[in-house]
Amino acid sequence: MEQELLDLLVEHFQDRIAGSVKSDKRVEIFTSTSAIEDVLMYAKNVLGYIHLVHFSCVDWIEENEFELMYAIFSPKSKITIMSKVRVDRENPVAPNIDYIWRHANTFEREIREMFGIEFTGLIAEKEMILEDWIEMPPMRRDFDTAEYAKKTFFDRPGREDAQDVRETIIKRTGEELPEFSKKYSR
Amino acid sequence: MVNDKESRKIVDIIQDFARKSSLFVLAYGTGCGAIEIPPTMTSRYDAERFGIRGAATPRQADVLLITGYLATKSLKRVIRAYEQMQNPKYIIGFGSCTINGGMYWDSYNTINRLDMYMPVDVYINGCMPRPEAVIAGFAKLQKLIQAGKADGWERYQNNLEFYRKNQKKIIHNWVMPDYNW
Ligand code: SF4
Repeated sequence: MEQELLDLLVEHFQDRIAGSVKSDKRVEIFTSTSAIEDVLMYAKNVLGYIHLVHFSCVDWIEENEFELMYAIFSPKSKITIMSKVRVDRENPVAPNIDYIWRHANTFEREIREMFGIEFTGLIAEKEMILEDWIEMPPMRRDFDTAEYAKKTFFDRPGREDAQDVRETIIKRTGEELPEFSKKYSR
Repeated sequence: MVNDKESRKIVDIIQDFARKSSLFVLAYGTGCGAIEIPPTMTSRYDAERFGIRGAATPRQADVLLITGYLATKSLKRVIRAYEQMQNPKYIIGFGSCTINGGMYWDSYNTINRLDMYMPVDVYINGCMPRPEAVIAGFAKLQKLIQAGKADGWERYQNNLEFYRKNQKKIIHNWVMPDYNW
């Protein structure tokens, strides 16, 4: 059933999407910012994927891209489609989809605030969770929270012997720390 | 009876006895520690035995409990609430988040040391402190009040500049009233 759905989508959108069946009841598709509105509209109005479960963002700093993830669900087939879109990190602009699902507005405001992605035509207050924020959007991975906290808030002496959780776990399990995370972890 | 600055008048002692025996706590929880307040107040631990009970608004309250992490956003509201309270007023820092940041010490939007922004009378350690610890903290506060040593509100007035400077460091859009105590 998952494969049928994927075939249907690929047949309809041809080379504008690519995808795979991730697991039982879970289909993953990759598309572009120009096609995502069409894909979501088609899935909602024709295929019955009427519920936007989640809409979030991942910072792929190594590839200089943000990934937007739209999870949509159909109560009939009980399948979740994870539609993923990559946007450029230097100039992050994505289409606004709050006319398809009204509650996407809230997700978009949060993503705009936390990652600095602009949604064309989004009408909403600039501030949502943060207040008087002047730094870079805080969920970007190159924003160093520890550094920021150090220079903004006051440290109380006595934490110097605190241990790095990662290092303790690595020592215990003998895992390798991936190269990219060394740069951004403490 | 000699009445220099050091010794306290008998009326002070009576006043402080009255104050310590009826502590009205502002019902305003900032962090996850606030979940320990309901068991403290209800029948299992029944803090009202010690004269500790909730107050609905800042103007009726004596004690401001900062129950855990304080986001920079709620710091603004907490300062506003604190400044509306009538003297004498006391602050209890509740949980390790108020002491040194707790497990949110490197977060971008929670403060680390409460006493740089507001005058704290008593700290209760723990993540989160159990109701016994909370009541012990209140008992400590009562002792300090009886001894005339819970003077956070005086410290706040006398060092207002210091506190304001720290508060304005993280609250960029300052919309609070100015005071002339
Ligand atoms: S000290 Fe622990 S329980 Fe209290 S607010 Fe911080 S994290 Fe939560």
